[in-house]
Amino acid sequence: MTPATDAARDEAARALGAIAEGQSIDWEHVLHRHSFLELDALGRAEALLDDGTVRVLCGPFERLESPWLQPQDVTPQSDDGVVIARGTIGGTAVVIASIEQKFQGGGIGEVSGAKITQALRLAAASSRQGTPIPAVLLLETGGVRLQEANLGLNAVAEICSALLELRALAPVIGVVAGSVGSFGGVSIAAGLCTHVIITPEGRIGLNGAAVIEQEAGAEEFDSSDRSLIWAVDGGEQRRGTGLADTLVVDDVGELRDAVRDAVAAGPAAPGSYRSERLDVLDARLATIDPANPPEPRQLREMWGDSYAAPPAKPAVPSASSGAEPRPGASRSGSSMQPSERGRTWITALAAGTTPRPVIGSVLRADTDGTTYLAVVPDPHNPFYRARQGQVGLTECAALARQYREIAAADTHRGERRAIVAVVDLPSQAYGRIEEMAGLHQTIAAAVDATEAARVAGHPIVALVVGHALSGGFLTHGLQSSQILALDDPGVEIHAMHKQAAARITLRTVDQLDEFAKKIPPLSYNVRDWATLGFCDGLLEVANAESPTDDDVQTVAEAISGAVARARSGPVDLSNRLESADARKNRKASRTVRDTLSREWDEQPGQ
Amino acid sequence: MRTMHYQFPASRSPARRVHVGVVGSGDLEVLLEPGPAGGGGAAAHAQIRVRTSVEGFDEVWQATLERFFARTPVLGDWELNDAGATPALVTLRLQQAAEAAGSADTAESKEAS
Repeated sequence: MTPATDAARDEAARALGAIAEGQSIDWEHVLHRHSFLELDALGRAEALLDDGTVRVLCGPFERLESPWLQPQDVTPQSDDGVVIARGTIGGTAVVIASIEQKFQGGGIGEVSGAKITQALRLAAASSRQGTPIPAVLLLETGGVRLQEANLGLNAVAEICSALLELRALAPVIGVVAGSVGSFGGVSIAAGLCTHVIITPEGRIGLNGAAVIEQEAGAEEFDSSDRSLIWAVDGGEQRRGTGLADTLVVDDVGELRDAVRDAVAAGPAAPGSYRSERLDVLDARLATIDPANPPEPRQLREMWGDSYAAPPAKPAVPSASSGAEPRPGASRSGSSMQPSERGRTWITALAAGTTPRPVIGSVLRADTDGTTYLAVVPDPHNPFYRARQGQVGLTECAALARQYREIAAADTHRGERRAIVAVVDLPSQAYGRIEEMAGLHQTIAAAVDATEAARVAGHPIVALVVGHALSGGFLTHGLQSSQILALDDPGVEIHAMHKQAAARITLRTVDQLDEFAKKIPPLSYNVRDWATLGFCDGLLEVANAESPTDDDVQTVAEAISGAVARARSGPVDLSNRLESADARKNRKASRTVRDTLSREWDEQPGQ
Repeated sequence: MRTMHYQFPASRSPARRVHVGVVGSGDLEVLLEPGPAGGGGAAAHAQIRVRTSVEGFDEVWQATLERFFARTPVLGDWELNDAGATPALVTLRLQQAAEAAGSADTAESKEAS
C-alpha cells in the first residue's frame, strides 16, 4: 500500500474511532459499536442511566401536549418531544432532559421548554436541600419551535436561567450527539453548561447554515457545502477550539463513560465557566480581523483547545479593516433599515447625561441609581454582519462586561443600581465569522452576566422600543426581571422575522397572519405578545420614533414602577408564570410545573 | 390536520399500557391503554382515535386498521398521532404496541410502566 492510501486509511479509521494516537487499527472495536445517535429520546436517556433506574416524569400518558399545534394543523406528540427522566449515573441521582429530534426537529415549544426548565429548577431545589442532582441535557434541536414562536423564545430564556441556578450547585452536562445538532436559542444553553460532550457528527451553532444563507446569501455561507458546515460547527472543531470539553465517537459505551466522568467531577469552580471567562472571550475576539478572517482550521491553532488565553496575538487591523469583504456583504435578507429608536430613547431617558459608546454599537448611560444599555446600529462596525443594530460577537462581550462591572462595583452598596436594557434590535448577527467564533458562546456570556446581576439584586428592566427578535432579544432583554414595551405598531417581538418564519414553517405570509389571529404566541402584534404573561407594562406613547416630553415622562415613570416591583419581587424569572395573563395563556406551562413537582420525589411503583 | 374515530370488535385485554413511536416525518406514535376494568365480553371493542397531518386517506386508514384488528383483536383505548406514515409502518407500529402490551388473560407480567 502506498503512503498516501495508508494515510487515508488511518484518517478513516480515526474518524470511526478505531485508532488512537500511535496505535494500530482496531476494526473489531468499530464493529462492536452501539450507535447512540440512532436511539430515540427515551432510548438515549436509558442508555446513559444505570440499568433499571430510569423513571420517566411527565410521560406520554400524562398527555401534556402542546396546545398550539393542533389549531395549526400540526399533529402534536403526547410528551411534546421531551423526555424527562430521573435515575442514577454511577450511583449518583441525576435528572436527564432528552430532546426528541424527530418531532418538529427538536424545536422547543411552550410545554417542552417548561419541562426542561422545571426539571432544572427541581434539581436545584433538591440540591439546595442537601442532595445535589446533576442534570444531563441531550440538546438535539434546531432551536425555538416557530409554531410557538414567542412562547418558545421565552421558554429558552427560562431554561437558561434555571440552568444557571442549578449549575452553581451541581454539574449540568450538555450532550450533542447529532444528527440535528444544537442550534438556535438552545445552543446558548450549551454555552452555559458545566461540561459539553460532543461527537464528530454533532454540531453546535447559533444560526444554522441555511438560515445564514437565507439572510446573507450563499457568498456568506453556502448551506450546500457540508464540509464547510462541519468545519465551522462540527464536534471536532468545537472541541478543537475549546468550545466543547469531550469529543467521543458515536457509541453508547463511550458516551456513557464520558457522562459518568462529568457527573463525578461535580460543579466547576465559580468564575471558571466558559460563559464567565470574559478575559478569554475578549482576547479570542481580538485575534480576528473580520476583513481578513481565518479559515476554521487556522482557528484551532490561534485559539487552542482549552478555553484559556489564546496562543495567537491580537490581529493587527489591515488597511482594509472595517471594509466589507465584498460589496453588499452587510446587507440583510429582511431588507430592514437601520433603526435609530434605541439611540433616541436611551438619549431621552438619560436626560442630563450623554450616552457614551462602550463600543461603537453599544451605548451606556449612567444616571443616579440607574444604568441604561442599548445596542445600536454602527455603520463602521468591523464585524460587518452587525452593522444595523444586530447583536453580534463584540456586542455580547461588551454587554456582558457592563453587567459584570456594574455588579462588582455595587457589591457593597446598600441599594444596587437598576439596569435598563433599551431594546431595538433586528436580530442576532447572521454570519460565517460569527458562527466560527461561536456566537452561541458569546451570547451565553451575556446571558450569564445578566442572570448574575439579577440574582445579586439588581433590578433589570427591559424596555422594548422597536424590534426585539430572536437571539438578539435572548441576549439583551429576555433575562430581565421586568419587561416593558411601547404600544406602537413599530414594536415587534418575535422569534424570527415574518418572511423567514413563513418559509421555514412552509406557509405563506398571509397564512401566518391568519393563524396569528387565533394563536397569540405566533402574532407579530405587540398587543398579542402582551397577553402571554411576561409583559409587565404596555406603554402608550404619542410618538415612538421621536418621543415627546410627555412620552419620555410616561416611560420614565413606568420604569420606576418596574424597578420598584423588581426590588420586591423574586430574583429569578418565576413571576412570568404568576400574572393573570400567564394563568390564561401559559396554562400548559403551569400544568407542567405542577405535575413535575408532584412526580419529582415519588418512589417508583407509587 | 384530521381527527378520526374508529371502533373494531376485540377480545384480548392488554396487560399494560404502551407507548411506541414518534411523531416524526413518515412515522407515528401509538399509545395504548387498557380500557375500563371488566370491559371484556362479546360487545367489547377497541376504541381508536387517529390524528393525522395528512388529509384524504380516510379509506386507507379504515382498511389498514380493519385488517390489523381482525388479526390482532386487542382491546383498549388506542391513540395514533401520525405524521404521514405509510400503511405498512402503521401496521408495524400497531403490532409493536400490541406485542409490548402483552395479554392480561395469561400469567404474563403485570403493569410495568
